Amino acid sequence: MSTELGHTKSGASLDHHDSHPQADADHGHHPSYLHDGYGWRSWLFTVDHKRIGIMYLVAIIGFFFVGGMLAGLVRFNLVSPTGALLDNDQYNKVFTAHGVVMLFFVLIPAVPGVMGNFFVPIMIGAKDMAFPKLNIASWYVWMLGAIFAVTALMTGGIDTGWTLYPPYSSRSSHSNVVPGAMGVFISGFSSIMTGLNIIVTVHRMRAPGMTWGRLPLFIWAQYATSLIQLLGTPVLAIALTLLMVETATGWTGNPVGIFDPALGGDPLLFQHLFWFYSHPAVYIMILPGMGVVSEILTCFSRKNVFGYQAIAWSSVGIAVVGFIVWAHHMFVAGISYYAALLFSLLSMLVAVPSAIKVFNWTATLYRGSITFQAPMVFSLGFMVLFTIGGVTGLFLATLGTDIHLHDTYFVVAHFHFVMVGGMVLAFMAALHFWWPKMTGVMYSDFWSRLAAIVICLGYFLTFMPQFYLGYHGMPRRYPNYPPEMRVFNVLSTAGYTVQLAGFLMTATYLALSIFFGKKAGPNPWGATGLEWAIPSPPITHNFEHTPKVVAGPYEYSLNLTQTGEKADVR
Amino acid sequence: MILQTTILPEQATEMAWHVDNLFWFITVVTTVVSLGVYAAVFGFCVVYRRKPDEEVQTPRILGSHKLELIWSILPLGIFLVMFAWGAWVYNMAMHAPDDVPEMYVVGKQWMWKVQYPGGQRVILGANSGDYKDDIGGEAKFEGVMVLAVNKPVKVIVTSEDVIHDFGIPAFRSKLDAVPGRYTTTWYKPTKTGEYHVFCDQYCGTNHSLMVGKVRVVEQAEYDAWLEGTYKTGPGKNAVDGSLAHQGRQLFMKLNCIQCHNTENPRAPILEEVFKSKRAFKGGTAGFADENYLRESIRKPRAKIREGWEPIMPAYGTEGANALSEDDLVKVIAYIKSLRKGETPVLNQNWVPPIGSNTGPAADEPQPTPPSAGGMK
Repeated sequence: MSTELGHTKSGASLDHHDSHPQADADHGHHPSYLHDGYGWRSWLFTVDHKRIGIMYLVAIIGFFFVGGMLAGLVRFNLVSPTGALLDNDQYNKVFTAHGVVMLFFVLIPAVPGVMGNFFVPIMIGAKDMAFPKLNIASWYVWMLGAIFAVTALMTGGIDTGWTLYPPYSSRSSHSNVVPGAMGVFISGFSSIMTGLNIIVTVHRMRAPGMTWGRLPLFIWAQYATSLIQLLGTPVLAIALTLLMVETATGWTGNPVGIFDPALGGDPLLFQHLFWFYSHPAVYIMILPGMGVVSEILTCFSRKNVFGYQAIAWSSVGIAVVGFIVWAHHMFVAGISYYAALLFSLLSMLVAVPSAIKVFNWTATLYRGSITFQAPMVFSLGFMVLFTIGGVTGLFLATLGTDIHLHDTYFVVAHFHFVMVGGMVLAFMAALHFWWPKMTGVMYSDFWSRLAAIVICLGYFLTFMPQFYLGYHGMPRRYPNYPPEMRVFNVLSTAGYTVQLAGFLMTATYLALSIFFGKKAGPNPWGATGLEWAIPSPPITHNFEHTPKVVAGPYEYSLNLTQTGEKADVR
Repeated sequence: MILQTTILPEQATEMAWHVDNLFWFITVVTTVVSLGVYAAVFGFCVVYRRKPDEEVQTPRILGSHKLELIWSILPLGIFLVMFAWGAWVYNMAMHAPDDVPEMYVVGKQWMWKVQYPGGQRVILGANSGDYKDDIGGEAKFEGVMVLAVNKPVKVIVTSEDVIHDFGIPAFRSKLDAVPGRYTTTWYKPTKTGEYHVFCDQYCGTNHSLMVGKVRVVEQAEYDAWLEGTYKTGPGKNAVDGSLAHQGRQLFMKLNCIQCHNTENPRAPILEEVFKSKRAFKGGTAGFADENYLRESIRKPRAKIREGWEPIMPAYGTEGANALSEDDLVKVIAYIKSLRKGETPVLNQNWVPPIGSNTGPAADEPQPTPPSAGGMK
């Protein structure tokens, strides 16, 4: 067993009790961030990273509800081979709206916007983000983008799919492509702002003693995510701008040909630009979730994380290699034979860091003292479902099988296992892990565990049948299908209702906890991170005094927080 | 195999067999590894769960370089095997054997036009305003494309409007139909029967109705079908002159012959141009495949043959020199068929060649003798 970076001195600091008593809430003269002003102005004009995080949370819960209802329309339409609810045009607009809302207004901003904003400064011992005003600006820019997109989706809708492939989107579709693309374009700036802010914050705002080797793995994951947001999003902006130019000039009768071959354009150019962002965007969605799971598994097994450096660097590795695999979405799209070989090979490389993480998480459980509160149940569910999502990606990165599986329900199932089974579960885990810190109250232990199990089973039932459908050739984006495929479609829809029940449970007990929940105390889980060394909910500037970091982030076996306090579980 | 028919869809080509083998390989490997991880997670969760009143004390284990190396390199090795096997299968799927008869498939919202080497045409899909009445059951599957069992066939795919994808799950085959370029694959059906044809790339309102069937039949039935004596049902199989033959008609009608002739050439002779190396002005060179021929007709100025002037007009999709995708396919089929000494004589009167068993269909351009006035 090796000694890991950043942990080396911590054994000697057991007697290090001269640090400031941050956890002592009652002696503080400062109110919690929730009680630092009450009017709407105190929220809408705030620059407090925690309030901004809560504003993201409220908006994201709203979007998640809308996206979930749209998913319900899709699933219930498919209980009948002829389409039970919607006509073709309505169905096309509903699945497009589901994709756009879920991706750009839930999955991409969920963990960076809520947990990133709320916890990155606290976990590195800072008073706020590096650029607090840019931070609130990012929320407003995001909402502006959301207004464009939601207006486009509600006033006639978009029928192109979230991928917006031209020439269909630019030349053939008569739906609200331009305002929708404008909404995504604008919300991209918010993503860039958040990414930039987090990168600068992590570089410049770390507390004394918080070396790179003592950063919590959530911070490493957020950092890697921010790199992708900063470098990838501009390319999406380019693709969307060109698409809007071709579409809008078409209205004038003098179209500028960029993607439409009839005008001298190249449709594959869009796909290259689009996936250059949108494949790394998958890692924008999943990387923060991986960071969350690293935090929770260590806490609930009372263990140092196994392979800190391996997990930290695999996050960065995913961010870098993730940029050079985009054309694996295009193996049957008419790219050259040799390009296909290259991108298949590179896609195999990006699978390795994800595998490393799963193995390290598993090893972290070894000889732990494991308890199964809701955050842990969600995290274990993440490990199981994300593994399925990950290995099914291999079928799609392999050229021979991708020919058959491309654009079928196999792909749908694969990315839902990663996005929903992975990212949404990680978000739920994070929400349950940090809920007492964010609100100061505790939710029902029994109902939260039950909901976690119900949601995981619901996911499994929803998306497993879709692998079967996909291998049997059922294409994506079909409102009707051959009758022999009905059984598995009905099973999938049944899974949706199970999930819905789980989420309604969660909404209920979390809402009730705000009014009736027990006080959580500063450190309900006995965790070691800096965020647990301050009161719940935190004061506006997080720390009464700048903390001094003396230990690595996961000294559970020594019962030692990062400030050198005891981190007892009871 | 029992396993094959219950768990996987029917295998109707050699390629299906190859893809399924690869599929099973990846499935078994990933299942074993995943179950191993799950077993470890589950086992640890049971064995190391916190017991009531137990003192919380865990060992300080930080990691193991040896284990990290093992679980980095081992998966990478397995992934590379998958890559190599997948590349081998992909290579087979992308490269047709030599001298295989060619079919063209042209996608259009929301139908497939399948053109056989002999000129027979089949329409798949539901491009009618009454499609809503047809939804449900088998009624929506309009049109059947017929192939002979154990006869390989090359398929050249393009689109007239937006991107489509010509997919046949039983063949484990799928290929985007991209406007403005040709993509190719090939099939060797090994099992008679009727299989689904789907459009797999989202293409608009009736994307899900751009579907049909492919029927694989014995050679004798196939020959009968080609001659029009064997009916497939609702699909049309109008029999007319071969593609190359129709292309020749267009070659004369569009006055290509006025320059591409042997008596008074103002442009390169096109005999045996297909699959030849071409030298261009500026010192570059290229290989004359279908996409090159297409570009030379749609955008003749893109590459100029060494020794010739750029005088050819472009044959786009609109305007005076409009040439539809259907017709372009025919002209290219004709150019590909041209052998040494087969260039028509300039200003000869057009005579229907022997061997076309009916006249051209009504919607085809009628052959007209070229005017003597040269290019319009």
